[in-house]
Amino acid sequence: MRMARQLSILLAREVESLFLTPIHYVVLTVALVFNGWSFWFALNISGGNVEESVRLFFGESPLVWLVLVLVPPLLTMRSFAEERRSGTLEMLLTAPVAEIEVVLAKFLAGLAFYVAIWVPSLLYLAIAKSYGAIPDAGPIATSYLGIVLLGALFTAAGLFASSLTQTQVLAALLATVFNLLLLLVPFVSRFVGIEALERFLVELSIARHFGDSFSKGLIDVGHVSFYVVLTGVLLFWTVRSVESQRWR
Amino acid sequence: MISVRNLTKRYGEVLAVQDVTFDVAEGEVMGFLGPNGAGKSTTIRILTGYIPASAGTVTVAGLDALSESLAIRQKLGYLPENVPLYPELRVEEYLRWRGRLKGVAARDLKAAVERVMGQCGLMHMRTRIVGQLSKGYRQRTGLADAMVSNPPLLILDEPTGGLDPHQRKEVLDLIRGLAHDHTVLLSSHLLAEIEAISTRVMIIQKGRLLANGRVSELATRLDDAPRVTVEAKGRRDAVLHALAAVLRECGESCDADELPDGWTRLTLRPGHDKDPREAIAAALRFAGLPMRELHRQVRTLEDLFLRITAQAAQRTDEEPAAAPAAEAAAR
Repeated sequence: MRMARQLSILLAREVESLFLTPIHYVVLTVALVFNGWSFWFALNISGGNVEESVRLFFGESPLVWLVLVLVPPLLTMRSFAEERRSGTLEMLLTAPVAEIEVVLAKFLAGLAFYVAIWVPSLLYLAIAKSYGAIPDAGPIATSYLGIVLLGALFTAAGLFASSLTQTQVLAALLATVFNLLLLLVPFVSRFVGIEALERFLVELSIARHFGDSFSKGLIDVGHVSFYVVLTGVLLFWTVRSVESQRWR
Repeated sequence: MISVRNLTKRYGEVLAVQDVTFDVAEGEVMGFLGPNGAGKSTTIRILTGYIPASAGTVTVAGLDALSESLAIRQKLGYLPENVPLYPELRVEEYLRWRGRLKGVAARDLKAAVERVMGQCGLMHMRTRIVGQLSKGYRQRTGLADAMVSNPPLLILDEPTGGLDPHQRKEVLDLIRGLAHDHTVLLSSHLLAEIEAISTRVMIIQKGRLLANGRVSELATRLDDAPRVTVEAKGRRDAVLHALAAVLRECGESCDADELPDGWTRLTLRPGHDKDPREAIAAALRFAGLPMRELHRQVRTLEDLFLRITAQAAQRTDEEPAAAPAAEAAAR
């Protein structure tokens, strides 16, 4: 009860802060342009086949991946780094709030902004529909689920990176590198030469999660829990990292 | 209200606070003095639960600072040294948000925010954006924030830092007004203001607590008698001769210097309970020596502070040198 109350107060503040910071509008605009662009590409490649374009858009468009990888770090880079640099973290943590409440509020706010960036893409589907295509609801719903889960994971990674430094740019860079590593790990697997490790690394492939389940309308418990667990671990580390500022 | 026992804080190799012990009773206004970097802010941050102690125990309102930090923070209004505030909010918005965060009930929130804005002279600034406030108004906003939940304990780290004399006076008056139903711990390196509003004073330097007590107690403990200064016209011997009876009465040695313009300047230390000014004036008039100054000075906190910190600095300088000398003597 107390936690819910504190969380809602903190969350309102975080959302407000996201919407009051000019750079986030730049991120929003660029992300929307990229998304629109890649849908247009997808339409062109598939030769006007709407179902095919939707699949391409969510699973294989490099521009969409750019949005997925870059947007969360840019939304989260300020969160702890800026509060530490300006000293407001001291104000925040000497008020009766727990670290976990602060971390969750920042996480939910970041995720909400990220989701808001994806909302306009529903328009594409509406447009496609108006051209007579009947996109299959299942794959679309799971594609969005995948995008939200991935966004949650990358937002948690961004928060963790931001909690490690006082420099926003460094936080964004760290988070982006983490995201790219996570994307590129499966490609490395080919050169490992140990079969068990290879299979493990392939299982981590985010592209494969999308190609095998999310884009096809499947909910693979294994894939979903990968995102949920990793997000949880990163958030836990973030809480620990914020707590440890007190000890440093 | 606050009880600190053998508090030590280490940052790696650096000892920021060493073995500090003190109490602050309920209703007291405790002044916390020390040069910059003495360990004031570190001690305060430990009290507020922002950082943990390396050793020692800290209890605030009977609660342990480490394990019951959340409960302590509900009873505490804290103004950090540099007054960090969110620059994008308006003054009133910020205070409302802080009030809610500190658990002020929704129905009391408006009244609470009005009250602190009134107390801190922020009424006409309520719609200003915090990032555009002057230093003085930032400070007031921070102070209003500390008071918004009307906590029984206020911890203010340099509440008058960066203010001009007018603003400083306003803030001090405000704190003095709060003192009757709050316990206040405030730090400063400006001694005059601490002297004016504190019931008790602690002096800290290089992480060590050097003195703790009422200003008058500290003066007595340092055997720091008031000084009386006289300037009379005439040679040194003539003036000493004229005042011989008074000087005998005071019993203490005095410094007498002949000034180049034919006047003589005397400094006496007559002891706490004696005031020989009347006798001096009478004696000089009797001897027919003109007088241009007669002044009794009681040590201000500033003098005390300089003396106490200088003594401590000397001690620490002597320690390493004294040890080999003692060894040599033992041999």
